[in-house]
Amino acid sequence: METQNSRREFIKKMTAASIAASTTTISISSFLSSCTPEVQKRAATADTVILLWMAGGMAHTETFDPKAYVPYEKGVESKRILSTFPKIPTVVDGLEFSQGLEGIGSVMDKGAIIRSYKSADLGHILHTRHQYHWHTCYEPPQSVQAPHIGAWIAKELGPVNPVIPPFISIGQRFTMGEAEELKAFHSAGFLGTEYGPFLIPDPSSGLDSVRPPKGMSLKRFESRYKLYKELVNKSEIMEKGSNYQRESLMRSMEQSYRLLNSPEAKVFDLSQEPKDVYDTYNTGRFGLGCLLAKRLAMNGGRFISVSTEYEPFLGWDTHENGHIRAKKMKALIDRPVSQLIKDLDETGHLDKTLIILASEFSRDAIMEGRPGELVKNQVDQPDIIEDEKYYGMHRHFTDGSSILMWGGGVEKGLVYGKTADERPCSSIEKPVVIDQVHQSVYHALGIDAQTHYEIEGRPFYTTPDGKGKPILDLFGKPMQTT
Amino acid sequence: METTNWVLQFFGRLHPLLVHFPIGLLVVALVLELLTLSGKRKGLREGINWMVYIGSGVAVCAALFGWFLKTQDEYSGDLVDNHQYTGIATAVLALITAVILRKSLKKNILNLKAYRFMLVATVVLLSIAGHLGANLTHGEDYLTEVLPGNEKGYSNLESSALLTELQGASELSELQKDKLNLEVRGLFAHKCYQCHSENKQKGGLVLEHKEGVFKGGTSGLAVVPGQPEESEIYKRVILPANDKKVMPTKGKLLTPDEIALIKLWIEDGAHWSDKAVKVFPEAPLALLTPTLPTATKETHPIDKLVDAYFDKNNVDWQEVVDDRTFVRRIHMDIIGLLPDVDVVEAFINDKNEHKREALVDKLLSDNKNYTQHWLTFWNDLLRNDYSSAGGKRPITNWLYNALITNKSYDDIVRELVNPVKGSKGFIRGVQWRGVVNASQRTEMQAAQNIGQSLMGVNVKCASCHNSFISNLTLAQAYGFATIFSDSILELNRCDKPIGKMAKASFLYPELGSVEGKTIKDRLLKLSEVMVQRDNGRLYRTLANRFWSRLMGRGIVMPLDEMDNAPWDAEVLDWLAADFVDNGSDLKHLIKRIVTSKAYQQPMINYDKIEDTKVNYVFKGPISRRLSAEQFSDAVSQVIAPMYPDVAFNPNGENIKAKRIWHKEIKFNRVVLPEPGKRYFRKSFHLPSLNIVSAKALISVDHSYQLFINGQKVLENNNWKDVGKIDISSYLVVGKNTIAVLGENDGTIANPAGILFALKIEQASGAILEMNSDTTWKSVDALPESGWTAVHFNDSNWLEVRDYGTRNFNNWGKLLNFTFKDQDEKFARASLVKQHPFMKALGRPSREIVTTSREEQATLLQALELTNGAFFDSVLEEGARLWLDRYATDTGKMVSDLYRNALGRKPSKEEREVMLNVLGTNPEKAQLQDLFWAVLMSPEFQFID
Repeated sequence: METQNSRREFIKKMTAASIAASTTTISISSFLSSCTPEVQKRAATADTVILLWMAGGMAHTETFDPKAYVPYEKGVESKRILSTFPKIPTVVDGLEFSQGLEGIGSVMDKGAIIRSYKSADLGHILHTRHQYHWHTCYEPPQSVQAPHIGAWIAKELGPVNPVIPPFISIGQRFTMGEAEELKAFHSAGFLGTEYGPFLIPDPSSGLDSVRPPKGMSLKRFESRYKLYKELVNKSEIMEKGSNYQRESLMRSMEQSYRLLNSPEAKVFDLSQEPKDVYDTYNTGRFGLGCLLAKRLAMNGGRFISVSTEYEPFLGWDTHENGHIRAKKMKALIDRPVSQLIKDLDETGHLDKTLIILASEFSRDAIMEGRPGELVKNQVDQPDIIEDEKYYGMHRHFTDGSSILMWGGGVEKGLVYGKTADERPCSSIEKPVVIDQVHQSVYHALGIDAQTHYEIEGRPFYTTPDGKGKPILDLFGKPMQTT
Repeated sequence: METTNWVLQFFGRLHPLLVHFPIGLLVVALVLELLTLSGKRKGLREGINWMVYIGSGVAVCAALFGWFLKTQDEYSGDLVDNHQYTGIATAVLALITAVILRKSLKKNILNLKAYRFMLVATVVLLSIAGHLGANLTHGEDYLTEVLPGNEKGYSNLESSALLTELQGASELSELQKDKLNLEVRGLFAHKCYQCHSENKQKGGLVLEHKEGVFKGGTSGLAVVPGQPEESEIYKRVILPANDKKVMPTKGKLLTPDEIALIKLWIEDGAHWSDKAVKVFPEAPLALLTPTLPTATKETHPIDKLVDAYFDKNNVDWQEVVDDRTFVRRIHMDIIGLLPDVDVVEAFINDKNEHKREALVDKLLSDNKNYTQHWLTFWNDLLRNDYSSAGGKRPITNWLYNALITNKSYDDIVRELVNPVKGSKGFIRGVQWRGVVNASQRTEMQAAQNIGQSLMGVNVKCASCHNSFISNLTLAQAYGFATIFSDSILELNRCDKPIGKMAKASFLYPELGSVEGKTIKDRLLKLSEVMVQRDNGRLYRTLANRFWSRLMGRGIVMPLDEMDNAPWDAEVLDWLAADFVDNGSDLKHLIKRIVTSKAYQQPMINYDKIEDTKVNYVFKGPISRRLSAEQFSDAVSQVIAPMYPDVAFNPNGENIKAKRIWHKEIKFNRVVLPEPGKRYFRKSFHLPSLNIVSAKALISVDHSYQLFINGQKVLENNNWKDVGKIDISSYLVVGKNTIAVLGENDGTIANPAGILFALKIEQASGAILEMNSDTTWKSVDALPESGWTAVHFNDSNWLEVRDYGTRNFNNWGKLLNFTFKDQDEKFARASLVKQHPFMKALGRPSREIVTTSREEQATLLQALELTNGAFFDSVLEEGARLWLDRYATDTGKMVSDLYRNALGRKPSKEEREVMLNVLGTNPEKAQLQDLFWAVLMSPEFQFID
């Protein structure tokens, strides 16, 4: 029903010209030859993806996979610290979270948790390299520019609603540390900028990016476009040059005019929300990002990421005061994330919206890297804690972390995988790597696992060598093979 | 999964046999039926009837068996479904036809219209079903591939020719055996290596070398000499398209000729040639030395060759473009700027017969603008940028100097591969912290980049495993990379060491040895090995890139794959040879191309982008979209300066001022400043008022009020707008105090900073300089009144922070932040740090080598142009400037806009439309919209 509907809407909204535009605006893609075999499309269980990105390394032991709680007291040994919060029950029997995540705990009957994600070994740990790896599935550097998962999805499926860009990234600015490294994966890579992210660093001003320039009335905006068309038509140049080039330019201008002039723009306007809803979400920029993601998901967004934002040593990147800061971060995410799930569930959108909450790796009080692959410690951690600022998870741990998923066909109430209860709190059952996560997303969206393009004479797959396999258990279909 | 029933399966497999009956019977029935139309040949009736009855009966059986086949043998896919539906429909229709026929006959109705109509319908549907069925068995392109224009892929024609030759021979000569083996190995390379190489080894089979081929895989012997029927390879390639075991599983099936070649090779004993073979086509290293045709009226050497090419390809020369078009094209191509209005008119009125060549010379000698335009090309090619991920070292200074002094290409290459001061960044590459894939170690990056940028060959594939798109091997790639390494590299296949050590060698060892004890020795040797006339590939690659820049498409495409066939080898090699024989002078190469008649042809129209790629025949240049840099510079020229600051300032004054702001701390970390007001102070001592000059410069993101000794002297809210002020009248002897009230704008934390410099030239000749730096002090709460005064006590104020460091730096070098008189009207975009606006217009981020940019327009790009705040503010500023300049003279406004932006006067109609918009008393908004409409037009955005 859903696709039927949107298709009808699609045709209603677009003139023949812009339909042509949305299907034929080829940029670099025309240099690529799709090599995906013509196999029958798997029925998709999701149309839309929301990625809630916990930037900076969220400790699983302080959030969704708590271990033995050791309260702070002067002189406590670092090696005794497994979790700095008590456990709380969730709505799912036997599933416990860390204190401060009561809201998310209450919606776990609508989703699944993977407790055994293992990040890659990239040596000396650099957040942006692991983030690059998480978002593109390729370890940097690469000799061709690897596309972000959102770009692959935008390329393969296009927009749900033709006037809403298919890949929207909310909340990350590029004005702080490691900006170039962040930009390197917020990119459509070789797929071409057309599929790149539509950036909304500040969700409360998201509307600005989809309406006429500030200070320009709609009337003026329309007459400006009319003037442009008139001048183009009067110009002799239309008889010169190459048709395909001229047409692609005219088409893109028309598309942009339609988007900026369309009623859909109000989807980006958070002030349309009732005050109480706005307030519920508003724990800060991340919370408002969730609210914007909700509006986009309900109105034809395709891939939307909302980041707590990566800035070195801030957000989840807790190198000191870990306990206090984890508490704040949990307060930042708990209410908006749980509300997002509830709202989408109530309106029926959760069935077709896959929501993922993840981080590039986890943290630990004393272990940097993982057993057998220890790397250089990033911070000093005393054996005996005399100052509360040393109480928390200050080192990077790559051997186990949690990924949460809701909707889009994901099995409800599922707990997948397990980490050890004693240090090292590594994944000990059904370990999951990034290729599987990506393929699970593609699986839900009905994108073939072998999807790839020929670039510089070699095949480049969505996941390296096309080898990744989806985690079918997540979708309640353990017997099905692809 | 359903279980298989052998009976049903057996019947199912009779389907392909059975289907031929209804096809034959019903089609012939129809033909005979047509013969009866005239009323004659009544004798056919009885036969036709039986044919229809039997035909429709068997059609039903065939459909049923088809269904068995599908379910029992697990066929699936759209094609099968379509075949099924049409097949069943055919059977049903055939049955109805038979029934109608029977009824008509029974009732003795002579009118057979209904039956005849049904019969036609049945046969039509039957043909479709039959065609789909044939596609299933033989492959979807079975029919279409033989049509002209469809010979795709690996040289079908050559292999067919060889096949014909060999089949004709009674016994194969040694040479023929070698050729056959080569052809078969080429076939393996193109069709099988993807899965059956050292790298992949599917089914344990490796077809890359002799051992692998004769060892076979887990399914048995791949090749049994003399016995194709026993050879797994042969058995697998002849299977029908939908068989699960058919090879290759990826891509198209082998053609009958290709299969025949393999069969012939095996029958003939599967001879394996021991000669060094190159299974992929490879361009020769040496340049051809074509003799220029004499039987032509063309005078320019390129035109002589193109003329011969045109003759061969039935292309006619067209008139060269008019002066107006030429002058814009040549300006854009050589210096990347629009010609000034008076330059255009003077050129058009110039009666000199050789004025075009004179203009080319003049533009090429405009060293500064030539450099600032071509810098973009080289930055892309050498992946040089002002900021980039993974810690890369820029070579801008060296590169800028190389271009402005017109260094020979030989020297450029020498200094790139064997670095001098300033050029190290190219082979040094990106160095990420942590562990990287072996194929991305910096030595390998150097090999890959030299391969791609300078030699037009892809080393990337071979740096992980033997390439399956070229002849390069893993060992060659490592041999090349070892040149740049301080230790001998061990070969890694797909990131795993394989226990073999590399031997330093250039990709084309025949050019000479590069072995040496130290890196230095090796790099020196490499530079000499690469830079020699025998390495024609080096010059050919660059000549092709320049041709592509100036003509819209390369002679070889893609530009980085120089083993592909050129549309004319003689044109390319003559150009490359001419380039190397003239001291590898880059400007000479440009001049050669742009003075040709070929360059001056009108742009060729193509309806589809594919037409410029497949079966391309050169007819003339292809119009190009302005690059991000060209577009920006043109807007800066016509409307208002787009970028006030550059990342690289070749003529900059070295002022040591820092971008300072109140130090903002969160969790013990310095963070981005929150919006709001901050207060700054700095005092200095002036020994005497006997001064020659005293000037101050200030730029603040986002706004400021500047006080000197308590007096407010300047305010502004645009950091790009450098405040320049003579401060001599505010100074006092002794202690002087600079105070700044700065405010950061926005809703969330964002970059903010004060940049300040002061220079006092004293009569004694001493120069006093004072810059913003971390000796300044600040507070974030409103201080008590009098905080701007000299004697205010700021001892408890805090030290400011330098926000101009790597993590927070978002400002370039402001062109106007100089005490000198500024002669640059605007910053050339090539010198500006990557900007979101230029990014949207296709400027690459240069993490990897980018030799052809995206040219197609995209939605994100159009959005940036339509509602981007940045572009909008430039247009607004432009409208302000224009109104200042023209007041209400709308006629001149319109005409100057067209003359400047498009190089021509507006037509009467255009003029009317625009004057209408502007009215008699134009406002900023209307003028701004007019700018927008003109800048968005294809006429402005393309080089024609």
